Amino acid sequence: MPEQTQENKEGTDFSPEESLQLIQSMITKTKDAVAVDSFYFLFWGWLVFACCVVEYALMVWFEYPHHNFVWWSMPLGGIISGTYSARQARRKTAMTYIEEALSFLWIAIGISFFVMVFINVVSDAWKTAFTYYILMYAIGTFVSGKLIRFKPLIIGGILNFILAAVSIKFNFANQLLIGALAILISYIIPGHLLRIRHHSKKQ
Amino acid sequence: MFKELDPILHSQLRLAVVSLLIGVKEAEFTFIREKTNATAGNLSVQVQKLKDAGYIEVTKQFKDNYPQTTCKITPKGIEAFEAYVQALQQYLKVGG
Repeated sequence: MPEQTQENKEGTDFSPEESLQLIQSMITKTKDAVAVDSFYFLFWGWLVFACCVVEYALMVWFEYPHHNFVWWSMPLGGIISGTYSARQARRKTAMTYIEEALSFLWIAIGISFFVMVFINVVSDAWKTAFTYYILMYAIGTFVSGKLIRFKPLIIGGILNFILAAVSIKFNFANQLLIGALAILISYIIPGHLLRIRHHSKKQ
Repeated sequence: MFKELDPILHSQLRLAVVSLLIGVKEAEFTFIREKTNATAGNLSVQVQKLKDAGYIEVTKQFKDNYPQTTCKITPKGIEAFEAYVQALQQYLKVGG
């Protein structure tokens, strides 16, 4: 085989049209690299949903006084979610700007939840805690939906803004049910739809 | 004919690398290799040329005991890429 000249090896012999095609195909490939993981929406969605429903049942039906113990599953969830994300980060070979923006958004929301839990413990703000939790879900899912252009998340976010306003008129027990509904429409349903979309893209 | 086109960018593999890095914050060597279908040897050479030109930043570190090379476009690289695309557009206007 004849030896390639340095010029050919570098591939400098191509037209402006081919140049543009190459640029376009590479940019399309980076678009595909934005893979939003439905794991977080489904994991946190089902966990919070279960906590809301179980706490409601313990409080209203069983009149169990320590009904709020269910929320101890949150730090445990944090450990599971954190371990999962560390493992995913190890496999990741590229970081897009959208992924970076999403991760900072959810880090900020995670910190907000810690701050709100602290406020709830030191005051009686817990009575209306769900109004603010739902508002947080609304911000997280609305912004995520807009960033990845995924309508179910955007709709879930908008509905949660409304539910947050509505929830303030209800007592704590009923707020638990509104919280469950909020998480169902903003995390669980869009999470499952995202998973379906991801699988259909793969095929 | 393509005198005005930046010779650093007017090379298929280097242009592919820069176009990939334009769309991401940073990417590992393995990601670039997979997307460009280049051989590791050739890609290393071209990445080094882009680095020497100041168009990309290359960081080498260890991840889980494996060496890992991460590439990131620099402001100078973005500028050069934009100028290159503008020059291309002029060629296409004249040609078309």
